[in-house]
Amino acid sequence: MEPTFFQKRLRDVVAVIVVAIFMFPIAWWALSSIKPYSAIFDRSGPVYVDFTPTPDNYRVTLLGVSRVQIGMEQGGDAAGVIKGGANSYDSRQSLADSAIIAVGSTIVTLFLATLAAYCLSRMQFVGQQSFLFWILSQRFMPPIAMVIPIVFMFRDLGLRDTYLGLILVHTLINLPLAVLLLKSFFDDVPREIDEAAMIDGATRAQTFYKIVLPMVKGGIAAAAVLCFIFSWTEFLLSLFLTTEIRTVPVKISTFVTSTATEWGYITALGTSAIVPSFIFILLVQRHLVRGLTLGSLKD
Amino acid sequence: MSDAVSVERARGLALPRFLTADSPVPWLLPITAMLTVFGLYPLGYSIWLSLHKRNVLTRQLDFAGGYQWVKAFSDARMWGALETTLLYTFVALALQLVLGILIALLLDTDRRGYGVLRAMMTLPLVVPPAVTGMMFLLMQDGSFGVLSFYLYALDLVSPARPLLTQPHTALIAVMLADIWQWTPFMVLIMLAGLRSLPKDPFEAAAIDGASAVQTFFRLTLPMLRKVIAVAVLIRGVDLFRIYDYVYIITAGGPGTATETLSFYAGRIYFTGDFPYAATLSLIVLIVLIVVSNIFVRVFKVRF
Repeated sequence: MEPTFFQKRLRDVVAVIVVAIFMFPIAWWALSSIKPYSAIFDRSGPVYVDFTPTPDNYRVTLLGVSRVQIGMEQGGDAAGVIKGGANSYDSRQSLADSAIIAVGSTIVTLFLATLAAYCLSRMQFVGQQSFLFWILSQRFMPPIAMVIPIVFMFRDLGLRDTYLGLILVHTLINLPLAVLLLKSFFDDVPREIDEAAMIDGATRAQTFYKIVLPMVKGGIAAAAVLCFIFSWTEFLLSLFLTTEIRTVPVKISTFVTSTATEWGYITALGTSAIVPSFIFILLVQRHLVRGLTLGSLKD
Repeated sequence: MSDAVSVERARGLALPRFLTADSPVPWLLPITAMLTVFGLYPLGYSIWLSLHKRNVLTRQLDFAGGYQWVKAFSDARMWGALETTLLYTFVALALQLVLGILIALLLDTDRRGYGVLRAMMTLPLVVPPAVTGMMFLLMQDGSFGVLSFYLYALDLVSPARPLLTQPHTALIAVMLADIWQWTPFMVLIMLAGLRSLPKDPFEAAAIDGASAVQTFFRLTLPMLRKVIAVAVLIRGVDLFRIYDYVYIITAGGPGTATETLSFYAGRIYFTGDFPYAATLSLIVLIVLIVVSNIFVRVFKVRF
């Protein structure tokens, strides 16, 4: 039952259309980021190519050029341009904050999750499934329910508005999926390898560190990327737990002010925020497509 | 030879005794500590809060027994929010699952170019949910949104009743953002599942002349059962806790039409009534624990 030529082409066409539909919002978003304001707010219909592209939104958000200066370059009256939100739109510090927090929480998550996942994959103990369910149930708590206690706790511990505080919180939300994902990668490595190493005199810790860990490098990279992305994109807890530190999603939300929604800056920073995550996910896609069964197919 | 040397050298390392014993304790201790401090403590605190009541005069929290719980169960708005949450969860989950399986089947081939399509399909996953909310807000804007424009053009929505202003369609608008962002996650999981299925049964089916539809329902679907169960569990939990998209796209409105349980709890939180907000959050948690426990048992999910 080989598909006919026509069936193959039909599949190609459908596949391209489906992917294009999913691409459209991002493409539209990226397109809006280089549009002048008049093109974003055109009420007569969508503007695709009929506008003069401008890098101004990126210059303001990524290079820290003030909007007054841009207004003067355009020869308009500066006072008219700065009307509206009074926040700073320079987002370089936010990108740095987000990067520090995302990388930090990825490292902490991987450390905790790798140890736990290896153990849960290799050792049998009473209540193992319950322990896993307990880890998974960390994801059940509505974020808003975590906010109240953690705000008080962080105030007492002096963790409010610190990188460490957000790193720990993001670690907490990433742990369940990271453990499940890593466990499924460890499950793919035959137990006989561990046994052989231990018969040769290696301890459990040595077996883990020197033999099994290097074999799941790809899986760890995949888990790292997912953790990075979830931390990089997390909104609610970052919003509540910080005032000085502003992660990128929180920063973007400040561009919606009581007087105006700065779609130009929102789309520019939003587009920039997607780029690093997308590069990372492309690098590990092969491993993700293998590991995301989360161990459910094991005998 | 070199292996023997490295093991020999490894043996020379002096490790603390508890690390060399084959016990799960040292492996699970760090994660347990983390989850106890940042998981159990907030839980305990929420339960404590839910048993108290804010005294308006003294601004103190007084013990109030089941007061908050009685209040929650007789709160019509809570039941409305629960209904909205359930509707949202079931519809979005069903659509994400069906679309996820179909798209995974569509993209699961080694033909040239499909690798690029699969890569592009993962793009929505990396968009911050807050940004996704704004994307759909921009596209669904009643006067200059591109999606609104086409919906008007196709006569699916009347310009007099923009998507976000009507109680029934506003929830659909929020769901669209969720479906767009998370269907790719389902696709990834299903692709992972499809890739790990054994080849033999499919070859046998092809030889026996089974049609593609028969193969799918008799072979693929049953064999993917466990993967589907895990995917439904993970997505279902997240859908039931939905907050971000509602917060950004509709803020619960119009009226309370898109107010989910998590979002209602958040709204109460902003009024400063922490005990009631904690109670509402705990209802979300309890529902999730009960339902997912039943689910894990019925579908025999093992991690």
